[in-house]
Order: sequence, then structure tokens, then C-alpha cells
Amino acid sequence: MIGPLQLVLILVVTFIAAIDQFNFLESLYQPIVMGPVVGAILGDITTGLAVGGAYQLMQIGSMPVGGAQPPNAVVGGIMATVFAVVSGLDVNAALGASVPFALLGQYGVTLTFTLMSGLMAKADEEAANANPAGIVKLNYFAMALLGLLFAGATLVGVISITNPTVSDFISSLDGNWIMGGLSAAGGMMRYVGFAVLMRIMLADDMWGIYFAGFALAAILGAAGLGGPALVLVAFVGIAIALYDYNINVSIKNAGGGSGGVSDGI
Amino acid sequence: MVSNVNTYKDLTPARPLDRATLNKMVWRSLFLQASFNYERMQAAGWLYGILPGLEKIHTNKEDLSASMGHNLEFFNTHPFLVTFVMGIVLSLEQQKADIPTIRAVRVAAMGPLGGIGDAIFWFTLLPITAGITANMALEGNIIAPFLFLVVFNVVQFAVRYWLMYWSYDLGTTAIEVLTRNAKEFTHAASMLGVFVVGALTCNYGATTIRIALQNGESVIDVQGILDGVLPQLVPLSLTLMVYFLIKKKGWSTIKCIGLLLVIGIIGAAFGIWGGNYTPLVEWYTLPA
Repeated sequence: MIGPLQLVLILVVTFIAAIDQFNFLESLYQPIVMGPVVGAILGDITTGLAVGGAYQLMQIGSMPVGGAQPPNAVVGGIMATVFAVVSGLDVNAALGASVPFALLGQYGVTLTFTLMSGLMAKADEEAANANPAGIVKLNYFAMALLGLLFAGATLVGVISITNPTVSDFISSLDGNWIMGGLSAAGGMMRYVGFAVLMRIMLADDMWGIYFAGFALAAILGAAGLGGPALVLVAFVGIAIALYDYNINVSIKNAGGGSGGVSDGI
Repeated sequence: MVSNVNTYKDLTPARPLDRATLNKMVWRSLFLQASFNYERMQAAGWLYGILPGLEKIHTNKEDLSASMGHNLEFFNTHPFLVTFVMGIVLSLEQQKADIPTIRAVRVAAMGPLGGIGDAIFWFTLLPITAGITANMALEGNIIAPFLFLVVFNVVQFAVRYWLMYWSYDLGTTAIEVLTRNAKEFTHAASMLGVFVVGALTCNYGATTIRIALQNGESVIDVQGILDGVLPQLVPLSLTLMVYFLIKKKGWSTIKCIGLLLVIGIIGAAFGIWGGNYTPLVEWYTLPA
């Protein structure tokens, strides 16, 4: 069984790891570290090491890149260790049993990222008032929220040890259309960010450039170069920008300006 | 949301930032993704990171407000390489460059770093360090987690410090050329920025259509048909729709987010958007 002090320590560790997965060292949260830490709290470092190592190997190759949220390794790694030590499951069974809670962690991430989208208007307000303290608070709030949601997910996981129906219930949430919709909406919200940048940067004569950038990225994506696409896009973009710069500087130095190039003289 | 100020009130270059402030910002760069969100991604964490510098640079309230405002726009780069963007943007802020110039340089710099950072850290450093130490851990070697943390973080911090100082110096040296032809530079940089935003729309576009209908022997795959018309047509259309709502209809960003939330959830109820879920109304069955 897990004692009250052990439970509190595990929740604190979860809270820190939840924040660390996107911030700070971005390495404390890895299962290779969390396994032995949770194992030590529960009095069995050796099992913790084994579970952490196994989860880490499973994790390599499913990095959180590109925006989609895979089942969460923080809650997954911690719960797998708890199951292995407390319930005495072997390593593979523990990894399997942790999956529903990894899913719960993934929901926590989706909810936080959605809620914080709404709170960006508050950040704008702080900027308008030139209030740095407000921005600092907003960031701390977001981290605390994520940490608490994750601690909650782990708490549910610990409860499930004595109450197996909890785990079944969470598994039944997988594939829920509301979470599917939230996740789809999450993927769309970045378009608002793009649209705002376009509203500010896009002079009417630059639509061609916008679509040219889109087209180049599409071609690179189709060529299987999705990863380095933006580097290659930058090469072409810099060439265009340098050309534009040199042309305009030459025109200026040649004493243009008043007449302009469109006179057709 | 967006201030329409294009130049700072106080155009006297501020004193160069001291090492203590630069170091503080390297430390703060660790929290780039603190308030990560779907709309502007790292924007507020980015602002949090450079605030110590901005507060030193902009001593009057209006300029600080303008600077904070434009630094809250969409931002996303690789978290381990962000100090490169910080250094160059801070050097421009310190020299009181035009806001459109600073914005364009920021957007142009943040995009490519994402792919580079993923390749270095997530596809190379992490698999190697974590892979080797995970096997050590499986053999019960207690050194494994410590070795992983030390190697990973030594590389991370070396990169963060070096990039911050290097790019701040780079920006400070480049500024002379820039001010000589400021107008031309801003135009060229804005072109590069717009080009990158166009590429981002395609590269970060994450919305697909799930609908697929069995038609006798063949399958009508809606996403496949759309890809045949134009790849990433859905993300492009949604972006242009939001642009239209903001620019022509004067919608606020929060209203747009609300709309997308509704579109996302209602669409999922009818199984329109791609993803691993079971729709509420199953009006078609996915072909096996």
C-alpha cells in the first residue's frame, strides 16, 4: 500500500514533472528519471529503474513534435512505476496498465492549452497597461494549472489500485467525440495566430509572397521534407528578401524616390 | 490586441544590456512554454523571457506597452534555441528599430529554428543519451538517470548561453547597415516574414477531414480528393476565413477562438474532422 507521505511525495513529483515536460530542464520528466525517483519514494529503486528504462525505450520515437499530443509519458511513466512496485505487476503489464492514465494526462494538456488560448486576451490587457507583473502571473498560473491537473490524474491512478472500475471508466473515455472535437479545435486555433500576423504584416502587394511561401512548404512536404521544410523556406525567402532590399537600395541611391519606377519614362 | 504604433516614442538607443540581464533572460528562456496555448503557442512565455530586457530598454510606459503588445503576437520556435531569437530581437529593441522591422525579424527567425532544434535535440541527442542510459537502467545501474540528466543539460545550457550572446552581438553589429536603409530593410524583412507565415500555414496546418465513404468497390476519401485539389486546403481556408473575420468584420481573437471551438466540437460530433474518436452521429461508416 501507499502511505500518506508517499502519496504526497508522488503528487509533488508529478506536479514538478508536469511543468518540466514543456519548461525548465525538459528532461526531469523523462521516464528514465521519473521511474527511479518514484521507485525511491515507494522503497524500490531497482524496479523503478527497470520500469523507467523500459518506458523510455518505448517512448523514443514518439517525441511530442508537430503539435499532436501522444498519450502522456509523465503520468504514464509515474503510474507504470507505481503499478510495478505497489501492485507487483511485471514491467510489461505495468506499462499496459498505465495507458489509461497517460490518456488522462493528454486530456489535461489539451484542456490547459485550450483554456490558455482564451486567456491570451488577458495578456493583451496586461501589455496595454504596461504591466510586466501581470504577464509573470499569467505564466505561473498556467504552469500551476497544468501541474495540478497532472497531480489529479496521478491521484485518480492511485485510487484505481484499490478500485479497478476507475480504470475501466477512464478507458471508456478513449475515443470520446468531445475530446476529439476539443483536440480538432485546438489544432485550428493556431490559424487565429497566423491571421493576426497577416493582418499586421500583409500589405496588399504581398499576397503573392504569402501564397508562394505556402506553395513552397506544400511542395517540400510532398517531397517528404516536412522536417527541414522551414529551413529551406528560409533560404528561398532570404534570397527574395535580399533581392528586394538590393533593388530598392539601388533605386534610392540612383536618386529615384520622387519619380518612382512606375512612371514608365 | 494589436497596437497600431509603428515607431517608439523615445528613439534614443538604450544602453546595451548588461551581462546580468542577459543571463537572467537565459534563465527565463527555460519557461518559454509556460503558458503554451493553441492560439499563439509560446507568445506569453516568450514575452516573459525578454521582459527583464524590455523593462531596461523602454523606460517610458507607452513604449513598454507597445513593445509588450507586439511581442505577444503568435510565436513558436524550438525551446532550446529560443535565445537566438531573443538576442537578435533585444538588440533591435535596444536600438529602437521600427516595430514592423522587429516583428519581421522575429517571425523570420523563429520558423526555421523549429526544424533544426527537433533534428538536434529530439531526433539525435535524446535518442542517443536516453537510449544508452535506458539500457543501463534495465541492467539496474543507478548511474543511468544521473548520466542522462548531466549530458542532456550540459548540451542544453551551453547552447542557450552561447546563442544568446552570439545573436545579441550579431544584431548589434548588423544594426548599422539596417539603419542606413531602414525603410528598404523593413520592406524586405516583412516580405520574408510574410513568406514564412505562408509556409507556417501549410507546415503547421493540422486540420484534416475524416469522412470516407464506401462506394461499391472503391472508397471515396474526401481528404484525398481535397489533397488532389490543393494540399492543406482546409488549414488555408480556415486561416483565410479567420483573417477575413478579423480584418473585415473586426472580430476579436477571443471571438474567433470561440467560433473555432464550436466548429471543432460540432464537426467532431458529425465525424467531419480527422482524429481518433467515435462521432456522436455516425452517418457513415469508415471503410475498413
